[in-house]
Amino acid sequence: MAEEGVVIGCHSVDEWKDQLKKAEDSNKLVVVDFTASWCGPCRFIAPIVAEFAKKFTNVAFLKVDVDELKTVAEEWGIEAMPTFLFIKQGKLVDKVVGAKKDELQSTITKHVAAAA
Amino acid sequence: MALSGFEGFEKRLELHFFGDDPFHYLGLRSLDFDQCINQTLQAVQCTVVSAVGNSFFDAYVLSESSLFVYPTKIIIKTCGTTQLLKSIQPLIFYADTQLGLTLRSCRYTRGSFIFPSSQPFPHTSFKDEVSYLEDTLPPTLHNRKASIMPSNSSSHAWHVFTATYYQQPHKPYTLEICMTDLDPILARKFFRPRNDGKTGDSAGKEMTEFTGIDQINQEALICDFAFDPCGYSMNAMHGEWYSTIHVTPEDGYSYASFECVGSTINGMEIDVPHVFRKVIQIFRPGTMSVSITSAGGDLRRTVASAVEAMGFKRRSCAMDEFPEAGSVVFQTFTAIRRKKKEVN
Repeated sequence: MAEEGVVIGCHSVDEWKDQLKKAEDSNKLVVVDFTASWCGPCRFIAPIVAEFAKKFTNVAFLKVDVDELKTVAEEWGIEAMPTFLFIKQGKLVDKVVGAKKDELQSTITKHVAAAA
Repeated sequence: MALSGFEGFEKRLELHFFGDDPFHYLGLRSLDFDQCINQTLQAVQCTVVSAVGNSFFDAYVLSESSLFVYPTKIIIKTCGTTQLLKSIQPLIFYADTQLGLTLRSCRYTRGSFIFPSSQPFPHTSFKDEVSYLEDTLPPTLHNRKASIMPSNSSSHAWHVFTATYYQQPHKPYTLEICMTDLDPILARKFFRPRNDGKTGDSAGKEMTEFTGIDQINQEALICDFAFDPCGYSMNAMHGEWYSTIHVTPEDGYSYASFECVGSTINGMEIDVPHVFRKVIQIFRPGTMSVSITSAGGDLRRTVASAVEAMGFKRRSCAMDEFPEAGSVVFQTFTAIRRKKKEVN
């Protein structure tokens, strides 16, 4: 399964944990898009997130549906959608709440540069 | 006064649809974004800048104001020279064909344009707008009324058009505040420094905090944006409650609006004096108009007292009843400017 350049959907808690572990092992920044099928703003930003995944190939992009993985959403305190969590080495390093294209891009860039 | 400039005064449209009300019903929120929402906004000539949703509704900051999508209700507010009424036909069409939802009521309101001759058809006059609405809306919405509610100034009126099938019980009220002649020093906070290297989102967040807008409702989630070189928009959400602020800070035609919903039922009560105190502190306008829908007489007095306590004098109060659509109270206030000492 091609993992670079695409947004990977996590459909089970195990899948979620696996992906986080993989990223931690390769010291990759993880950007998680917490989304809901019933949320228009999530659908608005989805193609933009896909573009970022193509562009920032050294970043792991994950997608979590808050209804599908309720416990994960609760664990990470997700209240509004979309919420983008930035995770490095299993720790939360940043957060963007809302479909904000420029903010998302600059936050990704900031953390990618910090890693370099 | 400039000969021509950006029109801050918004046009506001609220459409209610029939729908089932089981818990977690999606309704209009399930309209496809690209096919329906985006297409509708194109007709109006505006685009989505940023957006956020919670379990009750979706809120979009637009290039020219805001859009709120609830399961059975849509509110669009646009400024500048947008053709807001052109959203009605596509929305009715999509709601029907995609979801089998029918329109139940329509409410259109606006103040008086600062630059009326810059407006495109059908916003060339209230008469043209009403004509367009009468032709576009389905005949099932047979309870209709158009009203121009006066103030003591001929250049400042409140235009209302309602068309309803039948009245919905227990609706929340809507508070629409329009402010002009903003304090120039306070208005400057809504200008971005040249080449600040920030995104519109982060510059917007700074403006929200710097101006104290985040103090109006500290529990609300705010989605904000700062335009280049100036201008600001925000939507705030807290449960089912929303508020929205839009600022045109340029001297000569400065304008700011604050709108929110409220209810006497649990969950949406707002501290009216607190809200007005904060809003006035942030903008210190020379003139302020307040429109309240469907509220009892008490709210009108609460609002007037709150505004007057902040150094304003009420200049006018008009009230009108709309068939199966409740009442509207329209009040205008002007700041009592002291020559020697600024009111704090």
